[in-house]
Amino acid sequence: MTLWVKKTQQALCWLGCLVMASAWGAPHHSSGTQTPTVAHHKPALEAPLAPGYGPLGFELPAVGSYARPVIGRASDGLVIDSRGQQTTLKTLMAGKVTLLSFMYASCSDVNGCPLASYVLNRVMQRLAKDPRLNNRVQLLSLSFDRLNDTPEMLRKYAARFEAEQAQNWRFLTTPSDVELEKILKNYNQFVIQDVDNNGKPVGSLSHLLRVYLIDEQQNLREVYSVSFLHPDILVQDMLTILSDVKSP
Amino acid sequence: MKKWLGMILTVLLPQFAMADETCMSPYMAKIVGQEDFVYIWTLGVEGLGDEQDKLVTVSVNPNAEQYGEVVNSLSVGGRNEAHHSGLTDDRRYLWASGLASSKIFIFDVHTNPAKPSLHRTIDSFVGQSGGVVGPHTSYALPGRILITGLSNEADHGGVTGLVEYTNAGDYITTHWMPKDGELNGAVKSGQFADGYGYDVRALPRRNVLLTSSFTGLNNYMMNLGEMMGSPEAMSNFGNTVVVWDLHTRKPKKILDVPGAPLEIRCAWGSNNNYCFTTTALTSEIWLIYEQDNDWHAKKVADIADASKVPLPVDISISADDGSLWVNTWNDGMTRLFDISDPFAPILKSETSIGEQVNMVSQSWDGKRLYYTSSLLANWDKKVSTGKDLQYFKIYDYQDDKLVHKLTIDFIAEGLGYPHQMRFGAYSLYGMTAPPRPGKFAGLD
Repeated sequence: MTLWVKKTQQALCWLGCLVMASAWGAPHHSSGTQTPTVAHHKPALEAPLAPGYGPLGFELPAVGSYARPVIGRASDGLVIDSRGQQTTLKTLMAGKVTLLSFMYASCSDVNGCPLASYVLNRVMQRLAKDPRLNNRVQLLSLSFDRLNDTPEMLRKYAARFEAEQAQNWRFLTTPSDVELEKILKNYNQFVIQDVDNNGKPVGSLSHLLRVYLIDEQQNLREVYSVSFLHPDILVQDMLTILSDVKSP
Repeated sequence: MKKWLGMILTVLLPQFAMADETCMSPYMAKIVGQEDFVYIWTLGVEGLGDEQDKLVTVSVNPNAEQYGEVVNSLSVGGRNEAHHSGLTDDRRYLWASGLASSKIFIFDVHTNPAKPSLHRTIDSFVGQSGGVVGPHTSYALPGRILITGLSNEADHGGVTGLVEYTNAGDYITTHWMPKDGELNGAVKSGQFADGYGYDVRALPRRNVLLTSSFTGLNNYMMNLGEMMGSPEAMSNFGNTVVVWDLHTRKPKKILDVPGAPLEIRCAWGSNNNYCFTTTALTSEIWLIYEQDNDWHAKKVADIADASKVPLPVDISISADDGSLWVNTWNDGMTRLFDISDPFAPILKSETSIGEQVNMVSQSWDGKRLYYTSSLLANWDKKVSTGKDLQYFKIYDYQDDKLVHKLTIDFIAEGLGYPHQMRFGAYSLYGMTAPPRPGKFAGLD
């Protein structure tokens, strides 16, 4: 994996290192009183991995013993799948529980998009083995790097996670910037293009990692970020909403 | 990054960040360099300026042309007992609530960070929540805001709940605090199960949510002297911290923490499974800690002379878990404790900030501290012995000392009584600060 080869990435990496080192078991950082700058960069390899890469650190409640209330509606939008076919999110989501993530293929933050893809891959494997989930659940990964993440690029990316064969994990892009912007806005995904000191884009993107759990009626039921993005939690929550626990 | 101010976006903190910038939700993007603005949720005061609650924006970047000046003041059309505020996880909106009216004002702070605008007002909080009154802490969870109540509609006492909204401001659900007779599955570990609420913090790594407890509307809207002279009123304060299952929002254990535990701040280290709180009435520091796969509470230090009612208010923990700032409202002091051993805090220094002091907000690196003065409209001191009664102050922390940089007198400026502070920055939204006039013309 190419890590932090550019200045912007270095800055974000430092932040990631700082956070992860403190939170997930690496030696506790001692630079808390220093202003983080690129000069204080530490290699990303020092960053501990997010919880989603390891065993869950706590016991989960039983399936159906808790509620995942409806927190909104899943928005529609025009998308193109990795075979180049245009469709809509609404069409894809109909009748299935969906995990929707936003990503870009060249993202190198090990605790960013790669984390989401890793966790979804683990979920994908569980789907194949669990008759309660198989054929009732699907995974969607939508790129917000439309120019680089062509259908061909997405096919290659999907192959890395054995998603092409699985049939229940689709990688998507959008037909236009307008469509992409509309979808991102509706899902409150805000993406910032990183720039260098002269304001020139450096190729990386900053975003708030979120994965959305959407039920069969296309209601939004949960939003996961890095600290709670774990395959065990996702599977438990999917089973819970499939067990028809209604929100209070 | 184009600026040396950085942010964490793809990486969300799995545990508490500390102090103010660092004490907010672990799910939130963070400013780890120089903040550009401090947003101050300010109580409107009769006879002062426009008399309305307002969001005051102060420029705090030393490189800014208007450093130390009020660059925007946005009034909300009345007085609501402005108190606490909090940002959404994407840091685009600031939720600020009124304890008296139970209104919640949602400000857009991303379109123009220097000039927030009022995006939406929730005026049906009590009805939507099923009777929760007095929205206090607004705490970011992914895609939603968790709000603690202080009171209830039925008797305006301290029994209350947690209320969830989407980031857009749509009501989701209510979780009532566990109390005697309605423990909701929680284990009552001591004498108390009062059902009271105040602050909330999450520890995602341990799947834990902690809440503290204060008092109801009957008390917080009462004159302070009158309340303290009433044994009945003084008996109506919270004595508990509740440990919740974060994922299910179900209460697990009720801990005795007598004397109104207020702000909760948790440690940062990967193995530091503990949080601090201070008790307003008994002037103590308490440690809430995990041991043997269970949570416990223990008094670990005294704060000043409790018999003089110093009234601990806001607290702020450093990024290395090494120190804790503790403000005491009544004597206007800020105290720094060494908490290297969380079970044995040691007082390191005491500094007078003003005639009264409430909130303290610390930059991520701990080099800058910001203070405001107001507690509650009917509790604040009314007669000044000097000029530092209602203020916003900036300090640098260097060589183990607080160095005063700047004061804005909120009475002289006709603004009101300043309460909670939140930080803003252009770089959070991919923006850059406007250039200082004259620079391009070679006149600077």
